[in-house]
Amino acid sequence: MSARLESLRLLRSRRPLAAAGALLLFLLLMLLGFWTYAESRTNGAAEFRYTYENRSYFNGLVFALYAFYFAFVLLLPVFAATEGGAQLAGDTGANTLTLVLVRPLSKTRLFFTKFGIAALFTTLLTGAFLALTLLVGLVLVGWGELRLYPGVLQMADRPQHLAQAEALRRFALAWPAASLALLAPLAFSFWISSLAKSAVNAVGTAVALYLVLYVIAEVHFFAELRPYLFTSHAGYWRELFQERIDWREFGRHAAALGGFTLVFTALAYRRFRLREEGG
Amino acid sequence: MPTPLIETRALSKRFGTRAALDGVSFELHAGEILGLVGANGSGKTTLLRVLAGLLRPSAGHVRVLGHEPWLARERVMERVRFAFAPPALFDNLTAREHLVHLARLGGHAPLRSELDAVLETVGLAQRAEERVRAFSFGMRQRLSLALALVPRPELLVLDEPTEGLDPLAVLELRALLLRLRREQGVTILLSSHLLSEVGELVDRLVVLAEGCVRFAGTPAELVAPSVRTVLVVADAARARAQLATHGLEARAGAGNELELAADALTLEEAARLLGPGELREFHRRGAGLEQALLARLSAERDA
Repeated sequence: MSARLESLRLLRSRRPLAAAGALLLFLLLMLLGFWTYAESRTNGAAEFRYTYENRSYFNGLVFALYAFYFAFVLLLPVFAATEGGAQLAGDTGANTLTLVLVRPLSKTRLFFTKFGIAALFTTLLTGAFLALTLLVGLVLVGWGELRLYPGVLQMADRPQHLAQAEALRRFALAWPAASLALLAPLAFSFWISSLAKSAVNAVGTAVALYLVLYVIAEVHFFAELRPYLFTSHAGYWRELFQERIDWREFGRHAAALGGFTLVFTALAYRRFRLREEGG
Repeated sequence: MPTPLIETRALSKRFGTRAALDGVSFELHAGEILGLVGANGSGKTTLLRVLAGLLRPSAGHVRVLGHEPWLARERVMERVRFAFAPPALFDNLTAREHLVHLARLGGHAPLRSELDAVLETVGLAQRAEERVRAFSFGMRQRLSLALALVPRPELLVLDEPTEGLDPLAVLELRALLLRLRREQGVTILLSSHLLSEVGELVDRLVVLAEGCVRFAGTPAELVAPSVRTVLVVADAARARAQLATHGLEARAGAGNELELAADALTLEEAARLLGPGELREFHRRGAGLEQALLARLSAERDA
């Protein structure tokens, strides 16, 4: 029953709308970026549809993949961290946690309901955005095959070519894979949320720490630390867009992310279960 | 002696080096209305949070309906409703949604008629479908009370329930609480920083100051030390002398008044000792609850 209450609260809050609005705006910016880039490469000869610098390369699938890649780096993890941070600390700050805890409801059930709803929200947001990028790519950019070349966003070491149907299948696989990757920042922010007493503090801290960890994971100087940072494993879903998927490597990263998620969730749960409310 | 619904013995709660509760002992028995009174910061809300299992006691014994609340909060909450101040609500839910969803957390699916009756009782029937974001503090307080009534509890614990209510609503709340006790046998513990607000309603009082119980007893017991027998007589000097011959020491009051200890003599004895025509009026006069409490605390401090 707590799931109904938590779902209703989430739907009535501004967070889904804010996330959807920000992702939509980002998609528009991506479209504009694609178009202006093509225009500059074709000396103004590009039209909006089918006329990027190289029609066989710049198509809707590439657009969808790039848009999703960029959103995944920052926007989606920030939304996950925001959602996680707002859950426990938000209710603590607003005193509404007490409102629920004076009912015959266990802290365990409440915690996992909240985590489940936040995870479902993150998964649905990821899926919806992925579907939207594909739809926008299809309608406004046009279909084709997916070709990736070395050097571009480090998505391929050598030229990759996926037929349209296969590429779409890979996009379908990318949804659960990316969603799993987002559970780690979500669980991380839940942990922060269990330590904080206001949503602003929790969200701010979780997002700031995520960004720091992301930067550390990307900087060559910290290469030795990478295996120990969940942000280093998060981009593993890109492996799905190689012609031949290295499932072993894919599984290794997925397992690491699952491990990070479990550890952060356990830390958050332990803290939430043992902590006192008020005073 | 039946087991008390709430029992604390030498209960203490510390936050770091600060003692929010220090050796608090009291009992609440079935059918009682108990007032927990103290100034802001006296430890009332901390005590209620310990009783609700939200805070872990640092030392001492606490049982609510036979359970240790920190270890068995869910069991306690099956039969007890708490309404804490200030009333915290979900801004994006309506009053009715609050009642439905929070009742369901305890496995209770309330009937629409049950909700309508409760909303009517607290005066929110016309605003039931509005989101509480727009509710005033008083309306939030009313909804908080309504939430504590669905499903009907065995023990109702209200933290500062009259805060933010207009005088008429305070009177209605008192009447409602008395009705709940009378008709449904609900036991009630309510806290307030205003003794005058709970004094008329409660059977017993527990007064907290700086985390300690400074008084536990009935309102009459609180006032008792200040009660005096006041005689209005025809001639104060003559009457005083007459009483002195019977070993009674009277103090001169205003006008023709004489003051004696509360239990010094009855009306019949006064009339007999003073003789015909001397006694005009006979009163028992005491301080108000707050004055009596202040006098008590002051005397304790001096001692």
